[in-house]
Amino acid sequence: MKIIHCPLNGPRNAQEFVHGGEVVAMPDPHRSSDAEWASFVFLENNVAGVVREWWCHVPTAYWFIAERDTVRDEFIRTYDASELFRERVEFTRPAAPKGDAPNGQGA
Amino acid sequence: MSLNPIDRRARSFLYRELMAAGASFAEINGQACAMRFGSDSLAELARARAMAICDLSPLRRTGYKGWATAEWLAAQGCRIEDAPNRVYGQDDGARIARLSRGEFVVLSDLAQSTTLPDRLDGAWSIASANGCFRVPRTDSSAWVVITGEHAASMFAKVCGVDLRPHTFVNHSIAQTSLARMNAIICRSDIGGTLAFDVVFDLASSVYLWGAFLDAMQEFGGKPVGLEAIRTLAGV
Amino acid sequence: MTSRLPEPFGALIDRSKPVSFSFEGRNVQGFKGDTIASALLANGVTMLSRSFKYHRPRGPLTMAGHDGNTLVQIGSEPNRQADRVPITSGLKVTGINYWGSLEHDRFALLGKVDRFLPVGFYYKAFYKPRWMWPYWEKLIRRVAGLGVVDLHSHHGYFDKEYLFCDVMVVGGGPAGLESALAASDAGGEVILVDENRMLGGSLNYARFDAAGERAKIERARLVAAVEARSNIRVMTETICNGAYSDNWYPLVRGNRLYKLRAGETVIAVGSYEQPLIFRNNDVPGVMLGSAVQRLIRLYGVKPGSRAVVAAANDDAYGVALDLLDAGIEVACVTDLRSDPPSAPLADAVLKKRVPVVAGSTIYEVESGSEGRGVRAVRLAKVTSEGQAAAKGDSFACDLVAVSTGYAPMAPLISQSGGTFAYDAASSMLAICSLPDHVIAAGSLNGAYALDATLEDGRRAGFEATRNSQPASAAVPTVRADKGAAGITYPFPIFSHPRGKDFVDLDEDVQVKDLEHAMLEGYEHIELLKRFTTNGMGPSQGRNSSMPAVRLAARTLKQSIDATGTTTSRPPVMQVKMGHLAGRSFEPVRYTAMHFRHLEAGAKMMSAGLWMRPEFYGDHARRAELIRAEAKNVRENVGMIDVSTLGGLDVRGPDAAEFLNRMYTFAYTKQPVGRSRYVLMTDQAGVITDDGVACRFHDDWFYVTATTSGVDAVYRQMLWYNAQWRLKVDITNVTAAYAGVNVAGPNARAVLQKICTDADLSKEAFPYMGVREATVAGIRSLLLRVGFVGELGYEVHVPASEGEALWDALMEAGKESGIRPFGVEAQRVLRLEKGHIIVSQDTDGLTNPLEADMAWAIAKTKPFFVGMRSIEIQSKQPLTRKLVGFEITDRTQPMPKECHLVVRGREITGRVTSITDSPAVGKIIGLAYVALDQSEPGKTFEIKVDGGKLVSAVVVKLPFYDPDSKRQEL
Repeated sequence: MKIIHCPLNGPRNAQEFVHGGEVVAMPDPHRSSDAEWASFVFLENNVAGVVREWWCHVPTAYWFIAERDTVRDEFIRTYDASELFRERVEFTRPAAPKGDAPNGQGA
Repeated sequence: MSLNPIDRRARSFLYRELMAAGASFAEINGQACAMRFGSDSLAELARARAMAICDLSPLRRTGYKGWATAEWLAAQGCRIEDAPNRVYGQDDGARIARLSRGEFVVLSDLAQSTTLPDRLDGAWSIASANGCFRVPRTDSSAWVVITGEHAASMFAKVCGVDLRPHTFVNHSIAQTSLARMNAIICRSDIGGTLAFDVVFDLASSVYLWGAFLDAMQEFGGKPVGLEAIRTLAGV
Repeated sequence: MTSRLPEPFGALIDRSKPVSFSFEGRNVQGFKGDTIASALLANGVTMLSRSFKYHRPRGPLTMAGHDGNTLVQIGSEPNRQADRVPITSGLKVTGINYWGSLEHDRFALLGKVDRFLPVGFYYKAFYKPRWMWPYWEKLIRRVAGLGVVDLHSHHGYFDKEYLFCDVMVVGGGPAGLESALAASDAGGEVILVDENRMLGGSLNYARFDAAGERAKIERARLVAAVEARSNIRVMTETICNGAYSDNWYPLVRGNRLYKLRAGETVIAVGSYEQPLIFRNNDVPGVMLGSAVQRLIRLYGVKPGSRAVVAAANDDAYGVALDLLDAGIEVACVTDLRSDPPSAPLADAVLKKRVPVVAGSTIYEVESGSEGRGVRAVRLAKVTSEGQAAAKGDSFACDLVAVSTGYAPMAPLISQSGGTFAYDAASSMLAICSLPDHVIAAGSLNGAYALDATLEDGRRAGFEATRNSQPASAAVPTVRADKGAAGITYPFPIFSHPRGKDFVDLDEDVQVKDLEHAMLEGYEHIELLKRFTTNGMGPSQGRNSSMPAVRLAARTLKQSIDATGTTTSRPPVMQVKMGHLAGRSFEPVRYTAMHFRHLEAGAKMMSAGLWMRPEFYGDHARRAELIRAEAKNVRENVGMIDVSTLGGLDVRGPDAAEFLNRMYTFAYTKQPVGRSRYVLMTDQAGVITDDGVACRFHDDWFYVTATTSGVDAVYRQMLWYNAQWRLKVDITNVTAAYAGVNVAGPNARAVLQKICTDADLSKEAFPYMGVREATVAGIRSLLLRVGFVGELGYEVHVPASEGEALWDALMEAGKESGIRPFGVEAQRVLRLEKGHIIVSQDTDGLTNPLEADMAWAIAKTKPFFVGMRSIEIQSKQPLTRKLVGFEITDRTQPMPKECHLVVRGREITGRVTSITDSPAVGKIIGLAYVALDQSEPGKTFEIKVDGGKLVSAVVVKLPFYDPDSKRQEL
């Protein structure tokens, strides 16, 4: 069984973790096209190489980011999510009609 | 005459197991706590030194979490350092387990001489909470202590983390899976005897208690009462 | 009867302790320390089993647990290895795979018709016509089978343990012992694992010098040194049964499976001695030279009285010397090499005037009646590698010892990611790459000469601990000539025109079977393996894989490397089901009132990890009891344990904003003291959970979630806020609260009795109100909710006081006739109210529009998870809709959940919930139907068990109390 280095708990058996999918930026829910939105919801990049993923250490419900080489099946680096997500994210609904006002979708 | 656990409103989830094993109870914090099993206190003490489990669920404990919790606890006079997954002893015997940057469990001492959990809970309110939130650890989590020279070997049968005494040093914490249930394991030796506090989901009390007894059978392990543990601690 | 040899032969047996057991019903006497096989051979029993396909007699081949010939049945345990299992008093052993008796197997005739049973025969002959296969299968399974599984056998206690060490050394032979010592020098913790009872490996049975002294001396030195080290833990009789990522190994010892995590691993498991293939090479009495040596030295068993030794290296001459020492006549040594070089052991054999026939192989074994034993061996001159001229001299004998080559024990290396390539100089596979933290040593690493083996072991142990060795320590060196060249015959296969030249004894695969398979196009080594089943039997190709590769390479005129080897996967050795299935942990969660339910006669059911009361009372009266429980809620008052319901404290200045984003409804303006429905969708707009959000403070929501969904909801919330960074804290307090829902027209009266500090009147505490109060002296959260459609209060209290609350409510409700109700009655009641259960009435695709829950979606919020997808879905026509239906015709069979809604040949939906409603007096349910079937009054058909169509009518929800007067009392 693989060992995953949890930034909070140190090296642990992979059994203690769940995979949370790739780190992908959500498109602006008000301004993206239906196709862009569908692609975000349903499609995976499935890169052969280094990917950035969400992992959760289940006993502590702690989410972190891992960079993993999917070809070599190796974890390269793991770190706290705050390294990537530093700012509070705000959502605003654009004033009708749609698309007229700027909206502050971050991340 | 031993107290009957059902004579008090608050009850350990393990009281039936403890009664069946022949516990004598006394009141602690308004509920029945198993103080001893049988009359041979020397044998019980010897067991506590070799391989034993003791239900500490009636003992006071509390928890706090949130982004500003460390600051709030410090303001309440608690001494804690930055490293997570460590147990920080307090002057009055209380222990604060730092689980992460923002989450803490406060355990009282075996003699129940500390007032820290009550003091903190008294000082806190939702109205004044500022990034620090109370976690009802007394209600959400069972608390047992596993003691004795065989304790680490017993854990090796239910836990995938290396808890051998020379790698998992005193005051270390492992938040992991125990017999497939999430648990917090804190090493806090008692008077020179290897000891692990285990704080885990209250609802799995009966299940994990059974798993522990099963795993400690080969080491002759059995439940002991609080008195034996207090004797280990010299209180 | 073959006699026992005197001491010092028999290192493993204790002659002062006779042990008797039974084989095939006959009493057999052995000694403590004997295996079943050694005790049987000591008693002249050479046939242990019948072969898989042709039912030919078989005896021990390796005496090391490396062949499939020794599988026996021990009581209810099938397929134990007779050459590994020690005898114990009273053990009942029987052979396997025969019809009648092991001695007189009526299926043995199959061997005479083998030309009609080529490989692939089953695939080809029995599948047409297809309907006949079940009949054939029954027969084939009986003819070609191994032991008998006893479905009623006693469950053994098998458990697991985790182990950790700095260095694990697998293999307790000369290389492993030296490795362990070198690694232990560095001061770390070393675990030394060996599958045998005694450390020493080949030092225990093999011969390294003419005098036969070297092994003894080296073994004594090494074992004493290892035993003196406090940092080496020795685990004998322990099988390292596979290699997994990051140095993770399963170790099997007795009834325990250890899961070991090593910092570094030294694999020094050695080599398999390899068989020589000739006609009748499977007859009992034909053994590997090392098997003969094990019998003599470990068990003091004289395996025959007159032997022929087939040789292609000097070790074979060591076997001959051992035979002579044991008083066994050596009829001849037939050396496959045309010009055997002078070597210490060969020279000693020549000195003893044993006839040595050079350049000659065994052509065939002449056996006794029905292949029961060796009678004579006929030799043939080797004309080229693997080719022999027809018949040469015949030698009468009862034992054939074969020492013609080795193969590295590759599995652990291959499984850990190491690779092998063919080394033409040694005619063996050799390691060409190793993964990090895995080191090979000894003969596995090509070090065959004892001195090289010892040196290589030291080197490996040092390398594994290089970083912690003293800086001054010299790096151990290994001599250049490691003794691998010239000890393995390049093509040890001498096929015979009349066959019975077995490549794989487990599966009765002959040379021609492999050749035919390749003719049919199964040229790839993996296909060849699967089509012929070569290497797929119990011994997993340990003896047959390399010969098959050599044969394929030669037939296909390609190199061994181009031919390749088959993939090695765990387990390395057979593993008991008990090790995999035994003593696994099955967590179960009890509520505070669990034992009160049991005392009240509840039938419990699982809900996730929780146990919940399904209903109370006798199973025979199930339906009636559930109706009565429901009726008592509708007409009087009932109470149900809702402790398993998920509970999340969402706190902080952004709590309302956070809920706004997580759930479809709007929460920012929700007043304190009120609850509001929560519906969660994922980014695809699919419903994932529901519950209520109770606002106890501006900054504090207590949010409920479904029993089975709360852990996922909690994890999702944390995940989203790891990105949003809102000032909110989420705590899973599910276990912290015990909850009871008191419901029914008399609920207020009952609760008010023990709730002293809160006015429960409609005005003071309306429907969907929430408050803190004291109930039976316990601080509580009170929620006015209406899941079952009656006046109701959920009382949530600290879990440790849950049992006391239950008792107090039962007592307070006594005069009203309060009764507990279970999950089944609750399901009936909520269905009557038309409330959905997420994951029962929704599936992995259900969006809120299909579930007719558009009312729960706030349309003007800036964002919630799933919002955009739902907006997109709302612009498209629905493909199905969840509707309420009723069935009035009681002569029809009642549909069940998941029965399909059909229209002609089209499936338009399915039933998700159905009940015979006591309150409505009809059969009611929820079903997905096509949009044009979804208007109230429309009828649709449900296909029930047996294919009958039952007609149902769509009705408006809810079925019961449409104006919701009762829950708002």
